[in-house]
This record gives sequence, C-alpha cells and structure tokens, in this order.
Amino acid sequence: MDTFVFSLLNGTVYGLLLFMVSAGLTLVFGMMGVLNFAHASFYMLGAYFAYTLQGPIGFGPAVVAATLLSGAVGVVVERWFLRRVHHHGHAHELLLTFGLSFIIAETIKLFFGNYPVDYRIPPALDFAAFTIGRQQYPAYRALMAVVALAMFGALWLLLTRTRIGIVVRAAIYRPRMAQALGHNVQLVFMGVFGVGAALAGLAGAIAGAFYTTNPNMALEVGVMVFVVVVVGGLGSLGGAMLASLLIGVITSLAVSVDRSLADLLSVVGAGAWAEAVGGLLTLKLSSLAATLPFALMLLILLVRPAGLMGEKA
Amino acid sequence: MTDGVKNEPILRIRGLRKSFGPVEIIRGVDLDLQAGERRALIGPNGAGKSTLFHLISGNLRPSSGEIVLNGQHIEGWSPERVNRRGLGRSFQITNIFPKLTVFENVRIAVMQRYRLQYAFWRRIERMAAIREETERLLERVRLQHQAATLGGEMTYSAQRSLELAMTLASDPQVVLLDEPMAGMSSEETQYTAELIREVTAGRTLLLVEHDMDVVFSLGERISVLVYGQVIATGTPDEIRSHQGVREAYLGEEHAA
Amino acid sequence: MRMNLPLLVAGVALLAALPAVLPGGLLIASIQMLVAALFASAYGMLSGRAGMLSFGHAAYFGMGAFATVHAMNAFGGSGLLPTPLMPLVGAAAGLAIGVVAGWFATQRSGTTFAMITLAIAELLHALAPQLKGLFGGESGISTMRAPSLGLSFGSTTQVYYLTLVWVLLSIALLYFHTHTPAGRLTLALRENGHRLRFLGYNVHGLGVSAFAISAMFSGLAGGLQALSNEAANYAVFDAGVSATVVLNSYIGGVGSFLGPALGAALMTFFGYAVSDATQSWLLYQGVLFVLVMMFAPTGLSGLFGTGVRLVEQRGWRPAVFSALLVGGAAVLLTAGGVFAVELLQRLCSQDYRALAQAAAELPAVTLLGRPWSPTSVSTWMLPASLLACGTVLVFVARRRFGSAA
Repeated sequence: MDTFVFSLLNGTVYGLLLFMVSAGLTLVFGMMGVLNFAHASFYMLGAYFAYTLQGPIGFGPAVVAATLLSGAVGVVVERWFLRRVHHHGHAHELLLTFGLSFIIAETIKLFFGNYPVDYRIPPALDFAAFTIGRQQYPAYRALMAVVALAMFGALWLLLTRTRIGIVVRAAIYRPRMAQALGHNVQLVFMGVFGVGAALAGLAGAIAGAFYTTNPNMALEVGVMVFVVVVVGGLGSLGGAMLASLLIGVITSLAVSVDRSLADLLSVVGAGAWAEAVGGLLTLKLSSLAATLPFALMLLILLVRPAGLMGEKA
Repeated sequence: MTDGVKNEPILRIRGLRKSFGPVEIIRGVDLDLQAGERRALIGPNGAGKSTLFHLISGNLRPSSGEIVLNGQHIEGWSPERVNRRGLGRSFQITNIFPKLTVFENVRIAVMQRYRLQYAFWRRIERMAAIREETERLLERVRLQHQAATLGGEMTYSAQRSLELAMTLASDPQVVLLDEPMAGMSSEETQYTAELIREVTAGRTLLLVEHDMDVVFSLGERISVLVYGQVIATGTPDEIRSHQGVREAYLGEEHAA
Repeated sequence: MRMNLPLLVAGVALLAALPAVLPGGLLIASIQMLVAALFASAYGMLSGRAGMLSFGHAAYFGMGAFATVHAMNAFGGSGLLPTPLMPLVGAAAGLAIGVVAGWFATQRSGTTFAMITLAIAELLHALAPQLKGLFGGESGISTMRAPSLGLSFGSTTQVYYLTLVWVLLSIALLYFHTHTPAGRLTLALRENGHRLRFLGYNVHGLGVSAFAISAMFSGLAGGLQALSNEAANYAVFDAGVSATVVLNSYIGGVGSFLGPALGAALMTFFGYAVSDATQSWLLYQGVLFVLVMMFAPTGLSGLFGTGVRLVEQRGWRPAVFSALLVGGAAVLLTAGGVFAVELLQRLCSQDYRALAQAAAELPAVTLLGRPWSPTSVSTWMLPASLLACGTVLVFVARRRFGSAA
C-alpha cells in the first residue's frame, strides 16, 4: 500500500513537472500554429544555467536567474530566427526549431561534455517532508509540485482575469484582428514565446537538481511533452494538465509493477503457455513503463484524434 | 411554385438543419432540384449559403434532416463519397494546386474516375485516354494555351476557369458553384457566365451568386435563402415580385 | 535539376569506378554514403514531395536492418533468398511497418504528424532493448554474409557493387514513381490535400500509400546497411538517426529529386572525413542546417539552380563574381567559426580541465599542430577577424546581388 501511495505521489509530481514544460508549448502552439521543437531545449538550458550559477550565487537565485535566462534565449529565438522564416510556412518553422534544438544540445555537449553533470539539490532542501508507512517522502518533490501548481494557477489567472491575458488570447485566436485593433501582436508573440521558454527553464532548473541533468534530457522530456500535447489536445491548458497527470501516474505506477502479461494469464491457467511463447508476453510491466505513454498516444489517435480536451477538427 | 415535373428530383433536401453550438445556421431547408435544372441560390450575407453547400458536399455533417442525391441518402457522407456519387463543387476562394501546372491540375481531377489512386506501375504520360480527356476539358474552359502555366501564376479569372474545369472533371451530374464570379470585372463576369452556361449544359446546376444580372440570366429558377430557410422558389419574375423577398433582400428600388 | 543524361551516365560511371581508386577504408565510407543517399531519397519522397514531415524515419530503416539480419541468419545465403536478394527482406519489413505506422500517423497532418512519427520511433527505441529475441538487447544481433551465386561477398568491393546496384535501382524506381499516377497524387497531396477530397479521392489512403512506399525504401536502405555491417543494433532506432536523415535531406534540398541524396552523400562523406579531426561534427552539421533553412531554404541543390538562373539572367561574369564573394565569405566564416568551436571544445574537455586545475596558469591547447594560449588576445583575434571579414563579405554580396545571392 505504501508503495502504491508513493508511486501515486511520484507520478503526480512527475506529471506536474511535465505540465510545467508542456503548458508553454501548448500556448505557443495555439499562438503560432507550430510545435516548437526547441521548447524542451529551454528546459535543458534552465537546468544547465542553474547548475552553472548555483556555485557563485546559490540555489534559489540560480533558479530565478536560470528562468530569466531561458526566457531571454526564447525571445532571441523568436525574434531573430522564427520571425525570419515565418512566411515560409509551418513546416519550415518546425524544421528550424528542430535544427535549433539540435544546435543547443550539441553546444551543451561542447561546453559540459556528453555525460551528466553533478547538479544537486542543495543540502538545505534535502530533507524529508513526511513519512508514509516506513518510507520518507522528500520535501523537494513536494516543492516541485507546489511550484508547478502555483504556475498553473498564475497562468490561468493571468490569461482569464487580466487585460494582458485577454490581449494574448485575442492574439492567439485572431492575430490580424488584434493587430487591427492596435495591439502590438508581434510583441505579444515574443512575450508569450519568452514566457513559455522561461517556464520551461524554471521546470528544468528545479527538476534538473532532482532528476539527472544531461544533454539528452531535452529529447527525453521533449518527446514526452509532445505526447502530452497530442493526448491532451493541442492548445488546451486543461488538457495538458490532465494528460500530464495521466502520463505521470501511469508511468510511475507501472514502474513498480513487476508483473507481466504472462503472470496475468496464469490466473486463468495459461501461464505456462505464455512463458513458452515469450517475447512481449513475458515482459514485465516495469520494463515497459517507458513505452506506455506512446501506447496511450496511439490509442488516443485511434479513439479520439482531437485529444482528450481538444477541439474536434 | 410551378407545378409538377413528375420525375423524382435529382437532389432533394428535406428539413435540413445545422447548428454550431447554440447557434442554428440552417433552420429547416427544403429544396428540390430537377435533373438538368439551373437553379440560382441567393440571399443576404450570413443567410447560410456556404454552410448549405458544405452540408450538401460533405464538408459538414447536418444536425438533422435529409439530403437525397439521385435516390441515395448522402447526409453525413464524407466529401469523397459524395463526389463519387455524382456531385461536384467549386469553392468561393480558389482552391487549386498552385505549384502544379494547369494541365496537371486538371489531370489530377480527371484521374480519379479511372480509379488510379494507387497505381504505381505505369507512367502517367503513357495513359493516352487521360491526356486526351484533360486536353478536351482544357479546351472547353478555353485554357488550352495556358496548359503549362503554374496554377498559382495565372490571372484570377483564369484560375476561376481552372476551378471550374476541375469541378467538371469528375463528370458530375450535379454541380454546385459557390460564387464563381466573385471579384471579377463585368467583362470577366459575362465571359464566365457564358462559359458556365456552356459547360454545365445537360447537368444540374446549383449556383450561389451575388451579381443579380448573372442570377437572373443564368438561373432558370431562383431560390432565396434568408436566415437559414428558403423563403421562396420560382422563376426570376416570380422572385422579383415576391413580397417577402423584396423586403428581406432586394430592397424596393430593385423591383424592376 | 534537369535530367541531364550525359551527366547522369558520368556519375554512375564514376561511382562504378570507385573501388579501383579508393583504399579500403574510404570504400567502406562510400558504402555508407550510398546507403545514406538512398535513405535520404526515400525520406525526401515523403517530406519533399508529399509534404509530410517525418521525424522518426529511423524506425523503418531500423526494422529493415533487423529483418535483414534475421533473414541472413535464417537463410544462410541459399534457398529462396540468396545473399544479393537480402535487401528485399528489409524492404518488405519497412513496407509492413510503414503501412501500420502510416495508418496512425496520417490521421493528422503537419506538426502533429511529425510528432507522431517521432513518438513511434521513440517507442521502438524504448521497446527494442527489452525484446531480446527480436532485437538482441544491448548488443544487437550479428550475422555473416554467406557466399552465394558463386561470389563470396567477403570483400568490400563486392559489397560495394551490391550496394551500388541496389541503390541505383531503388533511386530509379523512386524516380519512376514520380511519373506514375500515384506519384503525381503525392504532389497534389502536398499542394492541397483538402481539395483532393472534393475531387473524390480518399486522402487518408493516399497518405498511407506514400508513407508506406517511403518506409519500404528506407527499410531497403537499412537492409543494405545490415548487409554491409553484418550486424544490427537497437541504436539504429536512435533519434539521432532520424535527425541525421532530416538534416541531410534539407541541406541537400528537398525541392529537387536528387537533392536529398546529394546532401546525404556530402554530409556522410564529410562526417567520415572529419570525424577523426573533430568531436563537434554534429554541431557543424546542425549549424549548416539552420543556415540553410534561414538563408537558402531550397538547399544546396537549390543554390545550384539559383546559380544557373543567375548565369542565364546576367551572364557569366556577375555569376562567377558572386560565387567568389559568397564562396569566400563561406570559407572565412567557416574557418573562423570552426576555429572558435575547436578552441572551446578543447578548453572545456575533461582532460584540459584536469590539467588546468593542476597547473598554475591556463595551459595552451593544441590546434592545427600549434599551441595556442587561451589567455592571449591573439588566440581569439584570429577567429574574430576571420568571422568579421566573412561577415563583411556577406554584406557586400547582399548589397550587390540582393535576393539572388
């Protein structure tokens, strides 16, 4: 039972983390119509910025600085790269962001090496928040969850209750009209892109200390985030939250299940046959945990192509 | 309403409704098209003419009601099924293949009837029947001299002619033309109207247009769509003198 | 690029003559070049012609490789499938997986399609190490080319010619496809898939068929690689493999039929040639890709076409002059950039850091056989001035030739 609760909590935290990264992505997609391949790179940059600055200025300030720096990189990418190829079409923008993500990853490998770096939680935050059964739950995980929830709340409030939020939403749905009404849509684009990048950077700065920080983290998280966006529905913040939690919890619970299909079949007496067949049937669910989100994505595509909360095409 | 052509209408619409969320755009449309008829569909902006076209051609699914084409219920069918059943449509905003040549544009449309969608074993240049049919079609819309021009590089009215050719390529029994004269000068309009009259001879035509001269000359009968309902159908004279139509649409000064 | 028959014949003759002039190591690299060229052509057919951007094409390449390896182990060179016909197994596997994957992926278009293809490849990449029977776990599956039809297939030369024949045949088939009804329809799919529905076409089916054909030839390429390497490993599903084919194809230019193949051949050749000299080759490739996407979106083959048009419009002298300007700028910028990157790479490497910690002041790094001190200004002045001169030339070229350059 303890393990179950533990896995559930871990999955929720991981899901919230995924949400932090995918929220920015889904907003930018709604605005620009292109999935920014480099979005997860901001996540990675946030972690590496924080790691580099943690020594000189301490963990807290490093996280804040990393967030701002990631946002700045995002603004540069939008202003100097994406805007130039905007007229070539979505496919072109996607390819460009793909290339940029590649360059960012290789540049990080250049400066930091092609292996993980030792970015760790500061000792001050490395304590147990509470105990479940016999196991202690690290406070840092709770901190990650809190930050993610706070971010969701702030974003939602900002978008729905403030004037800036209305302008942003108008720019997302009707950019030309918003421009005709006198709003500086280009500035809005740049701003949303920068905020999205900053949020991803924040997620990276916080998560990198807990999980591993290595040049491949952009790809790992990136693919997961895209799965989230497809499962949740493009452009829907609520869908992103739902899908992130779903994927986080499923993955986390699956990792703790050391059973396979063969074990399930042995309940009805077909166990020996399944063992003999081997292959997929004898694979433990824990080994398959990493592939479950993809299976979920393919299932969603079959059953509900617009995503859980997306608009029907 | 003129009385009885005893044949079954080639296109029959009954009680057609379409809502988008709480807003009902098409609020119960009844329409009958006889085979070979040329019907113009007019109505103020926002009446739902394009929506009606989308419903008939399969781009939208009706909320309720029935559409019967040639005796077959087609409501809710996908666009390709509707097309294969014998209905072709053109688009208000030119919807061609811009980076392909005029010849290729028409050829793509022609190829469909030969069921060659997956054919990968023969070169298309060798298929003489397709080439000849494409050339004939180009001649009918008088584009044969621009066959090698890229679709996107032609003049606007030439593109509209191309659009027309592509619509006709599948040899549809029923043709839906959505504002074919949109954005044209009066010479271009006259020219296109003549073209339409020629190439749709023998087919059933349902035409949406705003240019009243075209409507009254091309349309044998006219249906008036207002707020998602057909409020009148009749000959041009009947429509001109119809009280409801004059109020809703034409305005008093146009009563000739 | 027009189909210039004499040029083509010359190209094929050149390729056929390579084993006579190249040493063994470079011949192996040439085989890799051919495989990459085929893979890129298959990819270019889908993304350039059909307009469907796939980021997970390694899946079909990899399945082709594994299927071929299994077949090689199963058949042993005789029977129904002699060794030379082994790549057919790769093609069949690519086709089968392509149909299934394509059915899912083509339900969506544009960026969502791209994400789905990426996810499918990542799925395979995550699943493969678990399925030890099929994919051999961490170490992969190995095999040996069996003698067949009187040839031993032991020498690199024989493998080269086998690969060459298959690649030429496949590229010819791909070219033929562009002239078939199905091939013309893939173009229309890119231009206006929406309209195709109203013309009576099943657009989803069209998408699946284009996807499947591209996957088939990708699988064939994978089979050729497996034949040559005599092994297949789950690393073939890595995102880097998918990324490389995308980069190669667009650098070459997907607008022309042979663009992706040429881009892949060029990049593979360079990669092989410089892999001993630098660790940052991938970075350079990425930078080249981004530069192409931003300033030469039609790729290198498109640049060639632009050059031809320039000659036609303004004559030889301006064209040569602008080529010299642009070429000169490229050389300077490349030299400066590469120098800076190589410096940084050495400065940030683990070995250097260890050295620096032990020494009193920052030691010098070795580059081009000479020591360069990281603290001295001249070390950094060299790349800075190269970059500056290159940038100046770029500005001059743009002023003179505007958008044509």
